[in-house]
Amino acid sequence: MSEKELGQKWDHCLADSAIKFGTGLGLGIVFSVVFFKRRTWPIVFGTGLGLGMAYSNCQNDLRSHYVLHSKVAKEQ
Amino acid sequence: MAAKILPVFKFATKVTIAGGALYVAYDSGLLGDSKEGSVTLGRAKAAIPPAVEEWMKYFGFELHATPKIEFSPLDAWNSGVQKSIHALSVTPSTVSDYTKQGLQYVKDLTK
Repeated sequence: MSEKELGQKWDHCLADSAIKFGTGLGLGIVFSVVFFKRRTWPIVFGTGLGLGMAYSNCQNDLRSHYVLHSKVAKEQ
Repeated sequence: MAAKILPVFKFATKVTIAGGALYVAYDSGLLGDSKEGSVTLGRAKAAIPPAVEEWMKYFGFELHATPKIEFSPLDAWNSGVQKSIHALSVTPSTVSDYTKQGLQYVKDLTK
C-alpha cells in the first residue's frame, strides 16, 4: 500500500469516526429523550455504538489491501 | 375509551419519531461505509449555505457575514509534528554546543 493510499485511508477513517460519533450521539439523545426518560446511558451507549462501527470500518478498510478478495462465479 | 387509547397512541408516536430518526440516519448513509459517510458530509456542506439563506429570507433579518477564518487544522497539526520532530533531532548537537560554550565560559572565568 503506497503512502498516499495509506494517508487517504487514515483521512477517511478520521472523518468516518467523527460522523459516526455524531450520529451515535444524536440517535442516543433521541432515544434517551423519547423512550428512557432522559437518562444518560442511552446516550453513552449510542456514542459507543458509533465509535465501534467506525473502528470496525477502519479496520476493514486498512486490512482490505492484504486480504484476498474473490467473486462468486455465476452459474451458467 | 379515549383514556385507554391514549397510552397506545403516545407509544406509537414515540416509536414513529425514534424509528424515523433511525431510518433517516440509515438512509443518508451515515451508518455505512467510510466512503458513503464522506459523500454525505460533502452533500451536507454543500447544502448548508442555501439553507441558511432561505431561513434568513424567511425570518427577514440579515445575519452578519461570518468572518473567514484562514485556519487549517491539518496544516497546523502537520507543521507542529514537523517542528517537534526537527527539534528532537537537533537536540543532541544543540546540547553539546551549549555544554561546550558553558565549559569555555567557566574556563575563561578561571583564567
